[in-house]
Formats: sequence, C-alpha cells, structure tokens
Amino acid sequence: MTNPTHVQRSRRSGSGEVPLQTRANTIVKAADHATPLELSDITIRYGGGKGGAEPVSVVEGFDLTLHAGEMHCVAGRSGSGKTSILTVGAGLTLPTSGRVFWEGDSLESMGDDEIADRRRALIGYVDQGGALIDGMSALENVLLPAVPDGEVEQRRDMAKDLLDLVGLGRRMRHRPAQLSGGERQRVAIARALILGTRVLVVDEPTASLDRASANRIISILKDTTNDGIAVLVASHDHELVRLSDTLTELI
Amino acid sequence: MNAVQRFIRSKVLLLTAAILIAAMCLSVLVQSQSQAALNRTVDENSRGLYDVLVQAKAPAGALLQPEIATGTGGISFEQLESIRKLSGTSVAAPISLVSRVTQNLESPRLDAMDYLGYNAGLAGTATADQAAGATAPEQWPAAESVLSDEPKKYRLTASAVSSDGVSEQTLFKSTAEGSLGKAKLVEERAAGGSSIRIAAPEGETGIKFPAPAGGSEHNLFNLSVSLPLAPEVTESVVAVDPAAERALLGSAGDFLAPLEKAPPADARDAGAIGRYFEGLFTTGISLDQLDEGPDFLGVKLKYWAPMMTQYQQARRSGQLTADSQAIPLIVRSGTSLDLTYNVKIEEINDAGKVVKDVGTVSRSLGKDYLPFVSKEPFVLSWPGSTDHSSLLGAGGNFNQGLYTPAKWSTDFAAAPKYTDGEAAANGAVGKTAVPGEWVTVNRLPEKSANGAPVDQTQREPVDERSYRENLAAGEQAAAPLPMVYGTFDPAAVAEAAGDVNKLPLGGYDPTPFTLVEDAEGKDVDPKELEPSLSATGLASQSAGAITDYYGLAAARGYTENADVIDAVRVRAKAPGSWKEAQPEVEKLAGDIRAMGLEATVVAGSAREDASIFVPGYSKDDAGKESPLGTVQQSWVRQNAAEAVTGSLSGTNVTLLFLTLCGAALLTGASTVSYIRKRRSEAGTLRAMGWTQRRIRSWVLEEFGVGAVLLAAAGLVLSLVSWSVSTALVCVAVLVLYAGAALFAARQLRHRDVIDQEPQHDERLIPVDSPLTFANRQLGTNKFNTLALAIAVGVFGAAVGGLVALLIDIPRAAGASALSGLAAAAVALPSILLALAGVVVGLVLTLVTGRFELQAKRQYLGILEAMGWNPDMLRQVRLFENALVGTVALPLGVLGALGIGLLLAPYAALWAGVAGLIAVLCWIPISTKVVQ
Repeated sequence: MTNPTHVQRSRRSGSGEVPLQTRANTIVKAADHATPLELSDITIRYGGGKGGAEPVSVVEGFDLTLHAGEMHCVAGRSGSGKTSILTVGAGLTLPTSGRVFWEGDSLESMGDDEIADRRRALIGYVDQGGALIDGMSALENVLLPAVPDGEVEQRRDMAKDLLDLVGLGRRMRHRPAQLSGGERQRVAIARALILGTRVLVVDEPTASLDRASANRIISILKDTTNDGIAVLVASHDHELVRLSDTLTELI
Repeated sequence: MNAVQRFIRSKVLLLTAAILIAAMCLSVLVQSQSQAALNRTVDENSRGLYDVLVQAKAPAGALLQPEIATGTGGISFEQLESIRKLSGTSVAAPISLVSRVTQNLESPRLDAMDYLGYNAGLAGTATADQAAGATAPEQWPAAESVLSDEPKKYRLTASAVSSDGVSEQTLFKSTAEGSLGKAKLVEERAAGGSSIRIAAPEGETGIKFPAPAGGSEHNLFNLSVSLPLAPEVTESVVAVDPAAERALLGSAGDFLAPLEKAPPADARDAGAIGRYFEGLFTTGISLDQLDEGPDFLGVKLKYWAPMMTQYQQARRSGQLTADSQAIPLIVRSGTSLDLTYNVKIEEINDAGKVVKDVGTVSRSLGKDYLPFVSKEPFVLSWPGSTDHSSLLGAGGNFNQGLYTPAKWSTDFAAAPKYTDGEAAANGAVGKTAVPGEWVTVNRLPEKSANGAPVDQTQREPVDERSYRENLAAGEQAAAPLPMVYGTFDPAAVAEAAGDVNKLPLGGYDPTPFTLVEDAEGKDVDPKELEPSLSATGLASQSAGAITDYYGLAAARGYTENADVIDAVRVRAKAPGSWKEAQPEVEKLAGDIRAMGLEATVVAGSAREDASIFVPGYSKDDAGKESPLGTVQQSWVRQNAAEAVTGSLSGTNVTLLFLTLCGAALLTGASTVSYIRKRRSEAGTLRAMGWTQRRIRSWVLEEFGVGAVLLAAAGLVLSLVSWSVSTALVCVAVLVLYAGAALFAARQLRHRDVIDQEPQHDERLIPVDSPLTFANRQLGTNKFNTLALAIAVGVFGAAVGGLVALLIDIPRAAGASALSGLAAAAVALPSILLALAGVVVGLVLTLVTGRFELQAKRQYLGILEAMGWNPDMLRQVRLFENALVGTVALPLGVLGALGIGLLLAPYAALWAGVAGLIAVLCWIPISTKVVQ
C-alpha cells in the first residue's frame, strides 16, 4: 500500500536547504501564464474497476508549479507514484481528480488532438530507460517528433546538433540495440528537445546507469535549465536531487 | 515444477495441444460421418425401378435421352422371352409406341335451353290431343331466356388458342352474325291431334358460321348453334405387358389391372363385342349398370359409350369387317395439352356496331378430359345460364352421333433431333434440339431419336394403310375400335418412377422441358413447356392410352414376333443397395449384351438437367424461323453414383488436408510464440549452469505431455472410428507436434554467437510520415510481418473455401438429383470443416498478431508521448495492417482460388473474391482491435 502523503521542499538559496513549496490552492486558471506547467490538487488512484479490487490511492492532493529554467525533482521509493505524476504532467494520463495547466491552460478544456499538438510544442517526455523505436537509427529517433508537422528535413541539422550536444555525434546512424543504456537515454533527451520544448519531463534518467553515465545525463539536464527549459524529473539519484531547484519527496 | 505442471502453466503449449486435438477429432469424426452419410445416401438412391435398360441400338454419350419408347422397335418377343429366362432377371417389362391417334373433338355448341328456359311441366306431357290433367298451354310458365321476344342481331366470334407455356398461338378465329330471339312453344293441330314444337320467333335468321361449320338449328328442346370445328388432338398410345408393368411399378401400377383381364386376341372381335353391348340396350339396362358400366367378362366397363358409338358408325360406314378388333385401352385422365376455346358474344345494331358486350365464354381441356371418351369437352355455357344437363339423365343420354369416332392413323411426330455442343467443366454437354416435324405416315423416321438408323423392315406398310383403305383393292379396310377399360393418372406414375435415378418409363410419362433462357441468351423465369396444338414435337404429353401387345398388333399390324418392342426395362433379382447388387446387375447386363442387344446399366445413375438450345422453333408469316432459347430437361447421367461418391469424397479429403494444413500453420505460430516466451527462461537456466542437453530435455518433456495427450486422443478416435484416414490424421498430427517440439528445443539452445546487427542503412526510405513509419516497423520485424501476413492469407483462403462450398452445394443440388441429395447429406459436415478452417485462420492471425502486440503498444506509447495525435497513431496502425494485408492479399486470393478449384471449380472465382474481401475486411477490423 502506497502512502499518498508527500513532503515538498524548496532549496533555500545558498544554504542548501530546501524550503517547503506552498501548496497550490484550487485554482482554475493559474495567475502566471508564463508558468509552463502547473499541477493542482492532483489525486491519482488505481484499481476499483470491474474486477472488484480495492482502489489504491497513489498520490493525493499533489500541487506543483514549475517555472521556466527550473528543475523540479520528484523523489521517492519505487511505487510511490513518481512516474504517475510525470505522465499526468505530460498529459499522457488523466488524474483521478485535480487539474493540469500548461502555460496556464487547463487540459480539461482540451480535446485529445489539441493535447497532442500542445504536448508536441511544449513538453518533451523521456521515458524510463530512454525508450527508442527499434529499427530506426538514433538520428531518425530524434527526428520522430518532427514527423507530424512535416519538418523532418528542416530539423535534420538541429537533430545532428542535439546528438552532438549529448555526445553522440558519431553514433547517430546506430540503432537502439547498438547503443548502451546511457546512450539511449541521451538520444531520448535529444529527441525530447528537438521541437524546442519548454518543459522536459524525464523519468528515472539515471536508473541502472553507472555513475559516469549518470553524471553526464544530469549535466545535460542541468544545461537545459540554463536555456530556460523547465525540467520535471523523477529520480532518487542523490546527485540529481541535490542539483534540482525544488523537490517533492513522495513518502 | 514437473513437466506436467510446466505444460499446464505454458498456456501456448496447452492451447496448441487442445487445438490439435480438436482439429483431429473434428476432421476425423466429421469426415467419417460425412463419408458414411454420403455412402448411405448414394446407396439408398442409386437403384430405381429397374436396373438395366435394353434397347436395340446403342445410345450415344454418357447422357441417356429420356424418351425410350420411340416406335422404332428393334427387339422381338423371342428376345424378350430370352431375357426373362436369364437367371438374374426378376422383371422384364417391354414398352413400345403403338401409334398416334388423332381425335376430332366435338364441335362446341351453345345450348339453346339456356335461352328458352326449361319448362319442367312441359316435358312428356304435351302430346297429341290435350290429355286429361295436362297443363293447359296458357298456364305454361314463361320462358327464362335472356333473349328478347323480338329477335336481335348478335355477333359471335369463335377462336381456339393453344399455348406451349411460353407463347400462345391462335389456331383459328371465325366470326358470324345473325339474329336470335326467344323461341316459343307452338301447339299445332295435326292429323289425329295436336303437336307441340319450339318455334323460332318471327324474323330470326339464326347464326351460321362459314363453311365447313354448321349453322343454327331448332329441334325439340335445343337451339344448337354449330361453331367451326375444334382442332384435332393427337394422342399417343403405348403398349406394355400389363403383368410385367405392374411388377415394375408395384402398387402404383394397379391401374393396369383391368387390362390384365382383357380378353385374348382371338376374343376381341369388334363386331361381336358391339353386338353384345347393343343387346344390353335391347334387353334393358339398369341405371346402376349405366353408372358403373356394364359387366364385360368380369370388368365393369364404365366408359362403354365410345365403343358403342364407334361400332355403330363403323358398321354404318362399312368399315366394320370381320377383321375389326377391339383394342383395350387404359386412358389417361386429364391432359397437359393447353387448348382453350372462346366464344365472344356481342349484340350489334343494324350498322354492325357493337351495342352490348354480352360476354365471352371459355372452356379448356382440363383434368376431366379423357381421350377417346370425352363426351362434351367443349360444351359452352351462356353467362348467367343454368346447367340443365342432369335433366337429360345421368350418363344415360346416349344419342347416335354423340361421339365423333377417333381416326386411327400412323402419324408419328419425330422426336427432337439432338446435336452435342460444347462440354462444360463438369462434363455437362450442351445440346441443340431441332423440334421434330410431323413425318410421313407410312414410313418410319429415317433415324431414331438417338440418331441410329431405323430398321424399316420391321414394319409392314401395307398393314398400316389397311386402316384407311386398301389402295390395291379399293376396299374399305377394317377399323379397330377402342374399348376403354380404365384410366390412369400420369402424375401418380411419375411419382412412382421417383425423382432420383429413375429413368422415365418411356412413352407415358415424358420428362418436361423448362425454358431457362430466351433466344438472346438472357435468363428468364423458368417456364415449363407444354405440348400444344402448334405441334413441334418438342414437348409431348403423357400417352393418351396404354394397351397391351395384342392391341399393338391390332392397331399397327405386324407379323408374329416382329421386332416391335422399343425397349425392355429389366430388374435384376439381386437384392439390396446398388453397391451390393452391382456385380449381379453387371453380369445380367453382360448376358443381355451377349444376345446382341444394347444393355445400359442404369442403376447407379441419376437424373441430370441437360441444357438444350432450340433453334427454328417458330416461323413468322414470311417463313422466317426464330429460335426458342435454351430449355432444360432431365436426362440420365450414367454412373452418377461413382462420380458423386468420388467427387464428394475428394471434397472431404481435400477439406481434411486443408484442416491439417491449418493445424500445421497454427502449431508453427504457437511454437514460435512459445520460443519467444521461453527464451529468457532458457537463458536464466543456462546462467544457472544447465547444459544444452538438459535444456533440450526440459523443453521436450513439456512437449511430451502434449504428445501423450494427442496420442491418447488418437487412440480413442481410432477406437471410435477406425479407418485409414483416421490413422493418417492421427499420425500426421503427432508428427507435426513432434516436429514443433524439436524445433522449439533447437531454438532454445545456447547462443554462442552474439547477434551483430548492422548499422542503419541510409538507403532505407526516410521516416517522415505515418506510412513510412509503418513501413519501417514492418521491415524491421520481417519475420513477424510475414507470419501475420501468412495467417491473414490463410484466413482469407479459408473464407474463400467456405464461400466456394456454400455456392457449390446448391449448384450440386441442381446439377443432378443424386448429386443434390448426396451434397445435401454432406453439406453440414463440409461447412463445419470449412468453418473450422476459418476459425483456424482467425486464431492464427490472433496468435501471430500477439507476437508484436507488446512492442506495438510500446512504440505507439512513445509516439503518443512525442505528441503524435490520435489520428496519426490510427494512421500508423491502419498503414501497418494495410501493408500486411497487401502482402496477404495474393496468398489469400490465390489460396482461395486454389481451394475453390479443388472443392468447387464453378465457385472458384467467387472463392477468390471472397478471399479478397476477407483480407480487405481484416484490415480495418484489426486496426480497431489493436487500438
């Protein structure tokens, strides 16, 4: 049984302590439209369907306001709901209750097509383990988000630059099976950034990676915040927790 | 965990074994059941009323023409006796066409009583001098005639129309005008008293049709308006041996019993018989005797009147000689000849304009018509009139000249001449039939119906002419007189002959023709052709009468033991079904052939529709001939039993084979699925130090459990339904399963070489759309794509096979009576097997589709996370399935075509179309399912 309670802290500038972030009230429209991602009173429950299983409450009353250039880390033990918060934030699943705002617009008022279009423009999602499409090269994987807008050719150079940026300029013709776990994760990050995303949602980017590879990923993520990109990351990597601007620890 | 537990846990293996056992049981049981049903149906329906048809000439081709009584003869009584003496003969029933008899039907008359109104008080009482108590003339009731007191002008238009079921033909049309009025009873003083007569009103002219028809005439109680002569109706007469025929037909032949009691040839003196009947009336005859018919040598001759009238007429005309014989006849009840006589009655004014349409009266030949007997087939009734015929006495009104004697002639309508055309795929031969002409009286047709030359020496033309006149001596020859012994119903005879494997008895139950295509080759609503008075010789009606061979001798005249028998229908003594009796029947046929006759074994044959194109059917006024179109008639397909059994057995075996093929594919698919699931487990076991041999044993043990189950099922099946095919199926399934086990064990071996995937090939089509993405995905997983495409193709082919069967079964039912029955017997098992094939195809698609389902869900999730909208994701799924469908299409269509050609060649094209549609339908359905 997962304890739905959580503790939110923010790092006090210079002191290394992370102060509690204020709990978001029930806001229909966020005051600051520049806030790229805001989660308000999010509750996520599983089960309770036709099978008769007892519903399991994973997250309850979760609030988060993510500002541009800020990295927020959601930490906690396995099964505490980290990935659930990320998929809700990325608009991939709907919360049981609560609201999700993208740049101040509630997802409730959007249809599936609009969510997909807005996600493409706003959110870059990096799955746990950096899921890539088999049979396609690293470069092609990076270019996949450009397909819906028909901008594959226009963004080819940018994709190469991004692969260079994540240190895979020489491996862009390799397929996922020919890449290591860390390399796949980096390709996935490059893919998430290809459309000029403003929020990077990253799930366990350093899990099962050696320290050197993990540090490289962390470095890339930190660099993106410097470019004004907000990063929502789920991890229990101490280094990543340490470097994040704000932290939510799920208990 | 032991092997059994692992086997149960491995749902794939359990499913595979279950499906294989189900396929094995289904195919074996259904196949054996359907084979048994097929054999039973064929056996039960392959033996008809007789086993061997004996004719003088060999019929050409594998199709036997239905008409076997052609008047061509060729078999002598000596040969008939020899056939009867053969040890294997049970019944030998001869049949011959005697002749065709032309009858002049009685001219239609208008009954004047309808105009006058019948005065019951008048009959028999108004005689000379008013008798005491008689009704005084002033008290006579007024006449009830519809005619007026003052004569009015009327126009009568008489016409006779005959139809062959397709078109009508007016045989004649004639119009006459005159005046008619209400007749009056007039008492006239005559010498010695007074007399009463019916007098026409003053000014009545009567109505007289042009010659040769009569006019109008007043007699005692009738105003007889004679109309133009009715057409001649020709009736055929066949001769049979009544005892043998009854033995052949069983109880359905009881109508021939009176014919058995007919006097022998030397006691058929027409003069003596005529005098006997005259004597009955001289000495008096009771009303009961009149109703039932006077007793004649133990037979109540209900229809004695024709004999009497013709006796009297023949005696008066000098045709009755000492040689004249009475011919005993069993006459047909009813007619299939369509002849309608109409009289349109109009009142006109002096200028000839129609003042009033009084009405049209019509009469047709119907079920009450009796050849040689019909008393008043065309008595017309005036609209609103009353039937007063009973007042004349029930059947007792016997007036001289009431019946017009039938004229015996030797006219033969030639049977249609058939020419073979192109042969269809099922062996059916297209035929062309030229309607027969009415042929010369004194000569037989040059060729018989089957094209063989006719032996002209079997007849003696001089004798045939003797019924008309002796040309050499100028003397009137003896006339045979018909003596009606009873009636028969042709429908009852046809029913006794049966619908399957029964050759028509020949001559008295001709097989009907059905028009199916018009002259332009377009399909028309099937219409049965009927014999008509526009004689074409194409469709003939049942024989008008049946006589015995003494009657044939009297009518046709032949020397003793002349070859006058057209055919002999022989039933063998051997009992049981066709299969059981076949050796004896074949031996009997061989014995008959040794006598120099043609013996066709008809047992094991069946009726089959022959398509016959009929050119030159009708002529217009300019003499231009027009075709009728295509007609169908049941002929007899020889050796149909073997053909049907062989064909449908082949279908069963094919279905069995296809089911096994489906099971093999399914086993292959599930084995691959098993390997995929167990590969990681095998790796773990290897890591634990298991040897390659140990892992192989580990796999084979699991398969071994399934093999034991299969073997047990096979053993039970063999006990329940032992046959070679059962053994073959069980062994085939076991081999299949063992092969799958070895393959799985081999695939789960330790991999010494790490797979080295090549780097990305830049020549590949770049991914820039859902279509190119789908293409890349399918290209990346070629094995799965191909497996799924094969599964979809198998599904399409199975659907095609099912459709082919569904189409072919009704077609088979229509092709031949026996094949129809047989097809119906195996229809359900065949469809069940085909449905099993469809299910196997469907399961195959599900099993192979699941290979990639997880991966597919994963990459669709990635795409969704990257912002691909639902419509694009749907396009990806659709394009993937469309590409798989494109690969599957040739397999499905060609497979369906192949199965169609194997099972039902006629439906192969439809099978191909069904396969195409099935694959095309799979694409959107699968797209929806993957969602």
